[in-house]
Amino acid sequence: MDTISRRRFLALTGGTGVAAAANILNLNEIAEAAITRPLPTGTPILVVVTLYGGNDGLNTVVPYSDSQYYSLRPEISYPPEKVLKLDSDLGLNPAMTGIKSLWDKKKVAIIRGVGYPNSDHSHFTSMAIWQSAERTQSTKSGWLGRWVDTQPEDPMVAINLGSVLPPLLVGKKRSGSVLPLGGLITPTGLLARDCARLSLPAQGEGTLAARAATSLRNLLNISESVSPVLKAPAPVASDLPTVNGGNAGGDNNLSQQLDLVAKLVAAGAPTRVWAVSLGGFDTHANEANAQSELIGIVSNSITRFLSQLEPSGRSKDVTVLIYSEFGRRVAANASAGTDHGTSGPVFVIGDRVQGGMYGEQPSLNNLYKGDLAVTTDFRDIYATLLEEVLKAPAAQILNGWKGRVNSLLRKQ
Amino acid sequence: MATPTKDQERLALSRLFHRNGFGPLPGEFESALRDGFSKSAYKFLIQPSDSVISSQSSSFSVEELGKRPEPGTFANTEYMITMRKQIKDMTIWWLDLMVTTQTPYNEKMTWFWHGHWATSVEKGNFALPMFKQNQTFRKYALGDFAAFSRAMYNDGALQFWLDGQENTAVAPNENLSREFMELFTLGVNRYTEDDVKALARVFTGMQVNRGNGNTTFNPKRHDSSPVTLLGTTKSFTADEAIDLLTSREDCARFIAERMWFRFVSSEHALPSDFDLSTFGNRNIAELMRSITFSPYFYNSNYALVKSPIEWCVGVCRAFGIIPSQVRNPQQIVNGLSKLAQVPFNPPNVGGWPAGELWLTSAAAQFRLNLANLLVKSASLKDLKSVSPFQRVQYLKNHLGVYQWSKRTEDALTSAKSDPERLLLLAINSPEYVVGA
Repeated sequence: MDTISRRRFLALTGGTGVAAAANILNLNEIAEAAITRPLPTGTPILVVVTLYGGNDGLNTVVPYSDSQYYSLRPEISYPPEKVLKLDSDLGLNPAMTGIKSLWDKKKVAIIRGVGYPNSDHSHFTSMAIWQSAERTQSTKSGWLGRWVDTQPEDPMVAINLGSVLPPLLVGKKRSGSVLPLGGLITPTGLLARDCARLSLPAQGEGTLAARAATSLRNLLNISESVSPVLKAPAPVASDLPTVNGGNAGGDNNLSQQLDLVAKLVAAGAPTRVWAVSLGGFDTHANEANAQSELIGIVSNSITRFLSQLEPSGRSKDVTVLIYSEFGRRVAANASAGTDHGTSGPVFVIGDRVQGGMYGEQPSLNNLYKGDLAVTTDFRDIYATLLEEVLKAPAAQILNGWKGRVNSLLRKQ
Repeated sequence: MATPTKDQERLALSRLFHRNGFGPLPGEFESALRDGFSKSAYKFLIQPSDSVISSQSSSFSVEELGKRPEPGTFANTEYMITMRKQIKDMTIWWLDLMVTTQTPYNEKMTWFWHGHWATSVEKGNFALPMFKQNQTFRKYALGDFAAFSRAMYNDGALQFWLDGQENTAVAPNENLSREFMELFTLGVNRYTEDDVKALARVFTGMQVNRGNGNTTFNPKRHDSSPVTLLGTTKSFTADEAIDLLTSREDCARFIAERMWFRFVSSEHALPSDFDLSTFGNRNIAELMRSITFSPYFYNSNYALVKSPIEWCVGVCRAFGIIPSQVRNPQQIVNGLSKLAQVPFNPPNVGGWPAGELWLTSAAAQFRLNLANLLVKSASLKDLKSVSPFQRVQYLKNHLGVYQWSKRTEDALTSAKSDPERLLLLAINSPEYVVGA
């Protein structure tokens, strides 16, 4: 697993057909749509952050008052004075200052002990279960892909940042699209002048040739007139720990992805679901620094993302979901890391969120084969987000799933 | 054809090369202008059968990979990497063939049928069945459509793509039977839902070896009870049912419509008075010949947008760019992928789109990028040897373009002393992107 990147994984397994068939959008098209058919302000938007590799839940939301935590993980635990305290039992990883500030503003919901029955310890199987929201491998569609199926046909309704479509956005009838990173490349200089000349209207030209000329002309128009939000300086990707986290997939430039999403949301892109990802959480060895650095990037990127949206008035429309395919084993292993585990905390963040703790914290004294219990089924969260954020028929999309996370979202 | 004007003749010749083929090789268009349309068209359409065979027996082949190793093993990873590599190699192989072929008409028809019986490798994931299917397209490209349809029923790649192996007496699956009528032989609304169910029962019992594309008939999974198909009630064999479909007048009309759509106009429908009698015996070559020699072929209303493959292969043919021999062949495939047309990978069973759908701003940008790549590999010796003042006219004939507009002529003239820039503009001009 560790030597296979997510890209290759997707190319080699079930995701492959769809990955290849996915719509590839470019920034110009989305910018054009943001101008011609903007998403009405007030329309809820869901941003899904996938953490590939299995994020260590116990070092994300730390049970700092539990002596078991310290005795099971002598080398990779955070002392009480370092954690960012949320209540008398739990505190955030010291690197998560950004999310802590959002927590203080009551914008962060932490759902504890999330997973599914009979946890699978394979990255691929477990991620497939999380993304499809189905326990069996037979389902080839993702939960948000099936949501796309319920929407009017529009390639921009759900977009993944990066060039490969994750199973998450694969529907039964339709799928989300991908937006490869790489910025707005339009002709410049001499080529732009040449293209301008070549795309002038020509007398007596047939409709198709005229259309070809227009497409070239629009390319130049977009590069000149595209709304200024897109022209802000290109974001710089954060440096990442490269070795410790292994390579269990995911892109390595979360803040860059989210910067682009922020610009496009602010510009009015007609997109209701965005998918971004960060890899490197497979911390089998020397975990403490790597995981802390990664979760810090998540925290900073999300905070920066929401504050970037504020001037546009759309930050209140956005709800962010952060999940990983599993948590990690409670006890540390012999190389100061942790092996694949079961449940972990899920974060739901945004103005619409009722901040606070949800679900039961799995007990460290009641482990099953060294793993945490699952106290909340992940589909409860999906169902709640589908109904209350996307206003969609959750039962239809989630095969009749009945569980919900009560009062997770504020009443609108 | 009736006596066309010189101008109409040039238009028809431009269409002959770009539509019935993949664009002229260096010097071909000038030589055809001297010969005139009739002579050139006969030469083009009547290709020696031995050359068709030689393009089939190219040195390329795809090996069978055998049984898949256990999941999670290193051997399995290697196996999957080989699977992907075979698909990549096969894609470049076909692009090479389109570019270098001496029988462009047969090659173009092979391409046409790939878009008609649109099967993607992205379900079975094995190259070999797709390669075998490609050989079947070559074999029947200009042959008997009835025999072709029977052969396609036995095609493992198509069967797997449309769940033929799931279609059993106990649990009929209508995927293949529906598409067989809707997309392959009759056209939508020329059959009923009951016909779809009936044909699905006739088609039960096929099993497919996903790795090599071999199909076998399993009588235990077959439903041999009589059905009523398009008004005839009996216990059909698959061949009998297919013969019934292809013998219908609707089949002649449908295939003529599809050819019209790809070779004459994707904007205007097949004229209702179109003479279908030339397809009376279901001979594909005869139908194509009647289209090529009809007045429609020099009617200036019927412009066609070049698909990304047609555009890219056309540029490669004119400037000696052999895909497998550029510095990084995969870059060409990536460019085509951005333009949303990669061989062996149609978006769905309906095949690729046509017309304006290829003319978005995004496509214009991706086309410019791919053009940049192609120009870097282009052999510009001949263009450079032409006086800058004659280069714009030279390119018109070299690329087989009907006419440059004044606009394009001006733009090209401003770049006349820089051959690379000149070529880049010429192949991105509306007159080259859209075939008059």
